[in-house]
Amino acid sequence: MNKKLVFLWLLMMPFLSASAQTDSLSRFQSNMIAIGPTNILDTYLSAEKYHGIDVRYVNHCSRPTHWKNISQTVIHQGELSFVNNRADNNDEIGGMYNFQYHLRYNWWLCDRKLRLEAGAGIDVNLGFLYNTRNNNNPAQARAAVNLAPSVAASYRSHIKSMPFVVRYEAMAPLVGVMFSPNYGQSYYEIFNEGNYDHNIVPTTIGCTPSLRQLLCFDFKPTRKWSRTWLRVGYFGDYQQAKVNNLKMHQYSHLFIIGITKML
Amino acid sequence: MKRSRLFYLFTLLPLCLLPILTSCVDEEEYADTPEGNFEALWRIMDEHYCFFEYKQQTLGVDWQEVYQRYRKQFNNTMTESQEFEVLANMLSELRDGHVNLYSSFDIARNWSWHEDFPQNFSDSLYRRYMGTDYRIASALSYRILDDNIGYIYCGSFNNGMGEGNLDDVLSYLAPCNGLIIDVRNNGGGQLTNAEQLAARFTNQERLVGYIQHKRGKGHNDFSSMEEQRLKPSKGIRWQKKVVVLTNRSVFSAANEFVKYMKCSPNVTTVGDQTGGGAGMPFFSSLPNGWSVRFSACPMYDRNKQCTEFGITPDHWVSLTDEDFANGRDTIIEYARALMQSGK
Repeated sequence: MNKKLVFLWLLMMPFLSASAQTDSLSRFQSNMIAIGPTNILDTYLSAEKYHGIDVRYVNHCSRPTHWKNISQTVIHQGELSFVNNRADNNDEIGGMYNFQYHLRYNWWLCDRKLRLEAGAGIDVNLGFLYNTRNNNNPAQARAAVNLAPSVAASYRSHIKSMPFVVRYEAMAPLVGVMFSPNYGQSYYEIFNEGNYDHNIVPTTIGCTPSLRQLLCFDFKPTRKWSRTWLRVGYFGDYQQAKVNNLKMHQYSHLFIIGITKML
Repeated sequence: MKRSRLFYLFTLLPLCLLPILTSCVDEEEYADTPEGNFEALWRIMDEHYCFFEYKQQTLGVDWQEVYQRYRKQFNNTMTESQEFEVLANMLSELRDGHVNLYSSFDIARNWSWHEDFPQNFSDSLYRRYMGTDYRIASALSYRILDDNIGYIYCGSFNNGMGEGNLDDVLSYLAPCNGLIIDVRNNGGGQLTNAEQLAARFTNQERLVGYIQHKRGKGHNDFSSMEEQRLKPSKGIRWQKKVVVLTNRSVFSAANEFVKYMKCSPNVTTVGDQTGGGAGMPFFSSLPNGWSVRFSACPMYDRNKQCTEFGITPDHWVSLTDEDFANGRDTIIEYARALMQSGK
């Protein structure tokens, strides 16, 4: 009898373990800190590029929806950057809040170890860049809403007894709208005088070729952490815009570390 | 979905995204050398300065010719001071008080718009007229002169004025027969502060000028002229005669203030031509970190005339040596006589 029970339990194991491993790919919430170098250009404020540090808090959440094989991913980011010019005698300070909501179709392959996702979502950016020395054009506001296709791939496995998940996500804004002063237009003229001149700009990937990508490694360092995993990885955020004869870019290469809860 | 479709999706999608990787939005970066800083400065001005056509018409400035003439003066063996001096000389070709180069050891400027003319303002005479018991409210110093003419001195539009301050000032001066607003030596500040004060001297919305901005890098890439309209303040508004005193040092936002006031009834301007400065300045920076300021948004009077080189007064009056010796400010006395005569 005991042998039969053991045999039955062993038979059930793959299904039980498969269920737990499916959750590690499909349902999680991760809170991360990201830090790394950044390169900022905004020709409205200066012809020079500014280099410095970018610090972020990122909340990244993915879960299935009630539609079959459709998952939703929600991302919140808060970012601060502190940059200097080449001569190291002038500073800019930047800040940004980013919200993303994606719906993706899921394909499960390789015995449900590999999950591929493709879909689209909205990408909202609100922020600013402030030059500590300028007057009349000391700051630039950032406001943009985009429709963004996105892809993701995650693969779970284990090293010895340590399970891990490798995940890659990428999104790029395809079409949207953004705020921009015109080439030499002051904020005084826009907001005090109310003179509109192409300040709400329709955008496409052609004039805002940008990319965000995340490559992370989630692992459970100890069996005592039941649903809590550690995450490390790389977050690349390359934002660009060329509208109203103005150019801006922000290239950030960030190391991320965080905690992922498998839900 | 069939595997073949999956294959195509995950092959084609990255290919579609490839343009992102090859489409860098970037700006040419000049070397941090004297030659590189010269190229950067010349180009910043070439693409952003708003008065090239006007300066060509009035001063004969050809920015391309300036490039050719100054390019050969730069070499990478120059000292920092030499580099600064030659860059400053190049900028002074524009004779624009809003064009400056800022280093850690000096500010390049062209102040010929007031240095080449009599000052027509004396601190000694000012202190003689104001005494020591004058009132101060925000950016305004004021008192009632002994012939019951109110006198306000506004030396700068850098600091804001509270609406309550202005109500109290005008209430205090309400019993006066007329009001002198002295903006001599006011080098400017915030346009919004100039508008705020001028709004106390009109009972109706008025067209007071026009403003433009650049839409591209070309010397003539401008937006259409947009109206500047002065709306009356909702606080106390002055209803009696006003004389605004001006000299060559009235510049930038103060020049705009005079422009606004000339559109109001009961306002007369007395003194010297203002210094001008009708281009709202922007900033940029060079590879070596020096900042450059330049006129970026031209402003015009209500007749669409450029006031870059100043606004002429209704009555040209200068300080005389005789009056100075007798402790009299000729311009203030002329204004008082105007108001007493009822003109």
